[in-house]
Amino acid sequence: MAKKEWTKPSPKLLEKTLHLMHDGFHQRAFPDTAYDLPEALGDARWTDDLITSAWYMAETGECPDHLNYKTGRSGGGFDKLEFKELPEDQHLPEDAEIDISLELNRRGDERHKRTIDIPWYGGGMSYGSVSVNVMMSRALNAKKWNTLMSTGEGGYPPELYECSEHVITQVATGYFGVEEKSIQAAPIIEFKYAQGAKPGLGGHLLATKAGEEVAKMRGSVPFVSLFSPFPFHSTYSVEDHMKHLDWIKTVNPTAMMSVKVSTPHDVDMVAVGSYYAGAHIIHLDGGFGGTGAAPEIAKKNIAMPIELAIPKVHKFMQMEGIRDNVTLIASGGIRTADDMAKAIALGADGCVLGTSDLVAMGCTRCSNCEGGPSGRGCPWGLTTTDIELQEWVQQAWGADRLDKYYTALANRLKQILRQLGLSNIGELRGRTDLLRYMAGGEA
Amino acid sequence: MLATDLDRTSDNMGDGSMTIQLPVAEQARLNRERADDYHRYHIDTTETEHRQKFPRRFNVKVGKFGLAKLLVKEFFKYFGHWDVVFSRPCTYGVFSGPVGGFSPRPDLCVGCLRCEVQHPEFVTVTHNPDLAALGDSYLTSKHISTIDEEAKKGSVPVRGQGYRGRFGGPGFDQMFTDMSEIVRPSRDGIHGRELIGTSVDLGSKPMRLKFTSDGGLLDAPKMMAIQVPFIYAPPPDSVSTGIIPEILAETAGIVDTLAFLPESTVTNQGLASPYVVPMIAPGQIGNIESHGNGTRMIEMTSWNLEAWNQIKEHPLLVSIQLPFAGDWMSTMIEMVDNGVSIIHFVSDHHGESDEGRFVMDLYQEAHFALVEKGCRDEVTLIGTGGIAGADHLPKSIITGMDAVGLDHPLLIAMQARLLGDTKTRGAAGVKLPATFDKEWAVQRILNLSCSWRDQLLEILGAMGVREVRRLRGEIGRAMWCGHLEAEAFGDIEGFPGGEH
Repeated sequence: MAKKEWTKPSPKLLEKTLHLMHDGFHQRAFPDTAYDLPEALGDARWTDDLITSAWYMAETGECPDHLNYKTGRSGGGFDKLEFKELPEDQHLPEDAEIDISLELNRRGDERHKRTIDIPWYGGGMSYGSVSVNVMMSRALNAKKWNTLMSTGEGGYPPELYECSEHVITQVATGYFGVEEKSIQAAPIIEFKYAQGAKPGLGGHLLATKAGEEVAKMRGSVPFVSLFSPFPFHSTYSVEDHMKHLDWIKTVNPTAMMSVKVSTPHDVDMVAVGSYYAGAHIIHLDGGFGGTGAAPEIAKKNIAMPIELAIPKVHKFMQMEGIRDNVTLIASGGIRTADDMAKAIALGADGCVLGTSDLVAMGCTRCSNCEGGPSGRGCPWGLTTTDIELQEWVQQAWGADRLDKYYTALANRLKQILRQLGLSNIGELRGRTDLLRYMAGGEA
Repeated sequence: MLATDLDRTSDNMGDGSMTIQLPVAEQARLNRERADDYHRYHIDTTETEHRQKFPRRFNVKVGKFGLAKLLVKEFFKYFGHWDVVFSRPCTYGVFSGPVGGFSPRPDLCVGCLRCEVQHPEFVTVTHNPDLAALGDSYLTSKHISTIDEEAKKGSVPVRGQGYRGRFGGPGFDQMFTDMSEIVRPSRDGIHGRELIGTSVDLGSKPMRLKFTSDGGLLDAPKMMAIQVPFIYAPPPDSVSTGIIPEILAETAGIVDTLAFLPESTVTNQGLASPYVVPMIAPGQIGNIESHGNGTRMIEMTSWNLEAWNQIKEHPLLVSIQLPFAGDWMSTMIEMVDNGVSIIHFVSDHHGESDEGRFVMDLYQEAHFALVEKGCRDEVTLIGTGGIAGADHLPKSIITGMDAVGLDHPLLIAMQARLLGDTKTRGAAGVKLPATFDKEWAVQRILNLSCSWRDQLLEILGAMGVREVRRLRGEIGRAMWCGHLEAEAFGDIEGFPGGEH
């Protein structure tokens, strides 16, 4: 039997599908509807409550009272930590101004100075692993929030140029889609050495997702699996790494440099080495983060969770006397505003979100991003470039969901600071004295 | 032949160490032939379907009245737009059977939940309790479904959207393995040009070679190599004869590893081969003489000095089984002092000793005791018990084993259901598929072996370790969740054993 050729959905089909999907997100996330949470939704890290509360936030811009939107049930890490909230009469008043902006260039050099309005930005998800619609939803939202999002390693779709001040260009080991033009357009260039979900294994885009357009963008052959090797073939030392950064600095004399690394035993040394090579941002990507496709064995077993890496790096950089000259960003398993606040209290300056953005846009974390049995990718239209499925996420809708989601996250972050008597997110950094470990159970 | 080739013979091209008088072109041809003969070690896989139904992941229930109502409504609302009328909320075909959603096909469901989110009024997707009921508290349904997938496809399981489980945990989950961020010798690893070796030596590695005055090798080392750092442990008593031993013996030969089988089975079923290790009780150790047909190694099923003295000079390699029970450490030292070169540790199927201690601790104690004694390289340690997933292999090796034994996972690969006491070694009842043939079962175990070896390569590649032998006892490449938590959270109020 001939394989069905998928086509762009007709306007009527699009209208029907979008109505059903959007209505479905609403039905599941709101307490006044007749339906329970789906029994098969969620897992220990992303519980059904966390997923549906993200849907609630993405629709209302508020945190839900009826769901646990703060922690999962993983039995460790962020899920065992809680804040030592001050008595209510010591909270900062509701109208007190709380500053959650984040300065990214702390080196004091002549490069781009950039303060983002919120202490997080969007992590790399490449064209190919997600569609242009998803990338544009994130980019438009980043522009609205004066923050950033990263291209990931898959090239720079032309549509992104309208948001270029808010788009980080990633250079990774396969150099897929790396062009002088996209490097020159970016305020920050991100060197990806490793990815938390598959540390030490490089990247992998399965053949089914490397279609005509994706291959064109990456300069490859359509429907052939693409591997980004590990590590950079030209890097054996900090000095080699410095040459990489110097190369980019020559191509773009104003961009800041970010270095994304995973969390091995010596992550503290790697971070310090990256700083001395010229990095403005050290981006730690912990082992529990999401990705389009990763070997199951790598996710749990290789490298350490982000919660355990942050204090290690923070304290080591303090001892080296360089902590205030570099921005430390944490990612890989950051799910909520509470996770972000805890990461900052453990020593990070800010965070990167990836999976959370997708959940806000409807991801149920079914894990079929790599193609699944259908070979077409995500049935929700998120991690796919299938001509029909990608239409299930429309740019305006996606950007609006993310806008409201970010509103809820920002408000929750401010609420945490207010309850701790802090008026600036920078005051929270490294304040482990404000945390409590819940030895008996989840926070 | 070119004149220049005649001039340039192999002994005048380099440092003069080569003495073969061949023209360069001829030598190049021979080298090419030799190179063409070389094959990187590989286990051939073929997708091998189930012989009995494996419990599906999800159950899908559709309210027929609700569906009918929707269809009627959409028929009129979208009349003429048949692509809309016949569209389905499933990209996997659950509702694409002859009567659509009236008879859903839950076997195809992957749990994306789009149907249930879109149509909460009449679709419900639930976890299948039959799947959850598989296994026990250690070898869980998650392990079993993963092994089943590996045995079916022979590939490394790959999925999207990150880790879904517990933070740390008991047993092997206490350990994260290290990776090397920038500098690493294996470079491209499994996706690239350079070989990562998974072969291990069994036997006593000589610390130095001794030669006779005329250059002959004196005291040739008694050792052998297998291509993967795992062996096939004996099956439970209920299936220790019949087709299962035959399957294990045949697969071991293809993989180039060893199947440990009861001596009586090896003899009665004619299974002797270089890839089969007959297991002989000390009382019958004299039977060692009867094992021919290329047998390279036997195993004595328990330590007995008298029996050992009878066979220690025998040309066959001898492994001796040592359960983690009682004062096993003293026994191990006594064995080593008496020249035993292969010790096969055995725990129960949950990886515990008779006192309930976990093998990762016990392996380290054994390994470091021999390091301390200064004889670690003279002894091969094999550990069997508690291996339930691919990650348990490298973790056992990091904690000190040269190789590990696979037991229950081999049966799971053959779609066996384990019954009764699944913790005590050898005690489990085994229900095999009603119909299956040897060829199918061999391929399923080959697939599992390949998948686990490839996953081992992922771990080694991430670390930049080029051969598994170098991983043995490399505790420095382990990151212990408990240690990391103490370091990260030690100054946080409420952390057990912390500063507060």
